[in-house]
Amino acid sequence: MAKIDIINVQKYYGSYHALREVSLSIKEGEFMVLVGPSGCGKSTLLRSIAGLEDISGGVIAANDQPVNDLSPQERNIAMVFQNYALYPHLTVRENLAFSLKIHKFEKSEIDRRIKLAADMLGLTDYLSRRPKALSGGQRQRVAMGRAMVREPTAFLFDEPLSNLDARLRVEMRTEIRNLQRKLRTTAVYVTHDQVEAMTMGDRIAVVNKGGIEQVGTPLELYRDPNNMFVAGFIGSPPMNFISARADGHQAVLEDGQVVTIPVKAHGDISIGLRPEHIFLDKLEHHHTLKCKESRHFDLGSSLQYFFDLNGTEIEVSASGDVRSHSGVEIQIHFDPNDLLVFGADTKRIR
Amino acid sequence: MRTTIQQPNSPQNGETFQFKPELLTLSRTWKPKAEEGRLRKMIFVWIALAVIVIFFMLPIAYLFSTSFKSPVDVVDGSFFPNAVEAENWPRAFAQVPLWSFMRNSILAAAFSVFVTLGVAVMATYAMLKLEVGKSFLPDMILASYVAPPIIALIPMFVLMQKLGLLNSIAGMVLIYGLMNVPVAFWLMRSFVLQVPKALDEAAWLDGASYFKTFFRVTLPLLYPAMIATGLICFILSFNELLFAQAMTFDSDSRTLPVGISLFQGERRVNFGQMAAASSAGIIPVYFIALFCQKWLIGGLTQGGVK
Ligand SMILES: Nc1ncnc2c1ncn2[C@@H]1O[C@H](COP(=O)(O)OP(=O)(O)OP(=O)(O)O)[C@@H](O)[C@H]1O
Ligand SMILES: [Mg+2]
Repeated sequence: MAKIDIINVQKYYGSYHALREVSLSIKEGEFMVLVGPSGCGKSTLLRSIAGLEDISGGVIAANDQPVNDLSPQERNIAMVFQNYALYPHLTVRENLAFSLKIHKFEKSEIDRRIKLAADMLGLTDYLSRRPKALSGGQRQRVAMGRAMVREPTAFLFDEPLSNLDARLRVEMRTEIRNLQRKLRTTAVYVTHDQVEAMTMGDRIAVVNKGGIEQVGTPLELYRDPNNMFVAGFIGSPPMNFISARADGHQAVLEDGQVVTIPVKAHGDISIGLRPEHIFLDKLEHHHTLKCKESRHFDLGSSLQYFFDLNGTEIEVSASGDVRSHSGVEIQIHFDPNDLLVFGADTKRIR
Repeated sequence: MRTTIQQPNSPQNGETFQFKPELLTLSRTWKPKAEEGRLRKMIFVWIALAVIVIFFMLPIAYLFSTSFKSPVDVVDGSFFPNAVEAENWPRAFAQVPLWSFMRNSILAAAFSVFVTLGVAVMATYAMLKLEVGKSFLPDMILASYVAPPIIALIPMFVLMQKLGLLNSIAGMVLIYGLMNVPVAFWLMRSFVLQVPKALDEAAWLDGASYFKTFFRVTLPLLYPAMIATGLICFILSFNELLFAQAMTFDSDSRTLPVGISLFQGERRVNFGQMAAASSAGIIPVYFIALFCQKWLIGGLTQGGVK
């Protein structure tokens, strides 16, 4: 168990700047999720922590000890790979025992740890099988077990669930999280799925273009995003952005409709409004905007509407049952305090 | 087809079944088109295979048949000997020490395979997985593979002379072993690349040194590839003539190809005996190939990844 500090880390692949001054502090026992779009540098950061990539600048420290110069073998970090990377020629038992044997553990201790892991992960019946005779979910568990038996300073996960089907993925999320809570091992978990990030992370670091946009608990990121990227990335369905010109607390939309915004701003702004904060039935303190319906989907439990506002598509998740037709003018209502305002530089105006 | 017409207890009408010729034609046209296509394809494949096999077997068959021909028959050029001259075989073995040659060939080829694999497998891994030498070393190896062997003959001869390895099986083992490294590299290449990098990385994180990772994780996955590569290198060494002819001078170290070429030299060429010696020389290679076949087929990574 360890806290991990990443300080001004830089990484170049040739001339490509893959990590730009990344700083992040991961507390002991914390489950930190790195989330971001494809190619933003999540894996690079994770692999740098593991020692699989040499960093071009900055410091990575575990328990205040820099580990920059330690090889992957010396860092005592366990990683669960996207494709599991189980040793195909070894049985499940041998896969689990591999690192313990390398570190010359006593046979009895090896057996004890394997038994513990196998019990926890439900692998007891599969110990003498080879990986090829296991299902995707079972392989995933073996990969988890292999990380677990070592009792490492940290677990690193690189999109470990992306090869599983949707249902198993949801199951394994809970399983991984429960396991980590039980073991209290610091974990860094990479995903590009923001739902996975929101449901699993103690804290989330939103990564974009090689830099960290914001770090916070899932709720902090949802309620109080620092910029349009985080606001748009966290939350499902994603936040709607409406462009407007502001003068003080008044914002004028392209078609002349006026909205009162909760903060003072001037010039071009984007108004952020979450689909779940838009209502089709008006309440007392609600503001109203006129727009046209373009399409809607019935998801059974709720309805998903898309409205057209000055050519921008506004998504609304509503329970109200207004089954109108496309092209029909419709009113949407919202609490002005739910509005987020972003400047032309995409930064939040508070 | 039969089930369509033989349904005496057919519940539809309860009548006893009556043969209706139109049913038969119906059922015949019912035969799926795809099946007919598959049959045609099979016939084509078999004919093509037969042509190819005949094409490749013909010279060997001719060689074998020649080994039973008298000198007169050889000149005659007919495929089968007019009179079977079985004497060619014992005479061939009496004429030159074929058994020694064969032993020398097998020893030189077999040990050279170990030298080749010992160098090539580790080198391939280091170059491709640990990126030793970036792209320069692999390109170098390709370059040395492309060059005609004869340009190495004189320098090799001098080197062997200095090492005192001329006219020895050990010398031939060394030459063949190193000569086949580029071939082995290019054969092993795709197999090594097929072993996912994540496996090495997982082993490193598990605490295994680079050597342990190689020996415990990568190497076991490469066994089938090594057998295939080893077999090809064995055949290359077994059949090599140029270097063997230049560097071996007596029956203690001469290899089979050199031995067979001896039938040409002395006085007149006895094609019948030469063919007998050649036929005998082919046999070990074929047996080894046959023997190794079952190891050549086999999964490489077998589901460890994905
Ligand atoms: N070995 C490499 N050489 C050059 N560029 C690389 C290398 N590895 C990664 N990159 C580049 O660095 C950037 C970040 O890659 P990285 O694998 O960290 O992305 P990621 O966030 O994990 O994306 P994904 O979600 O698709 O896995 C990408 O643009 C990628 O092209
Ligand atoms: Mg990645």
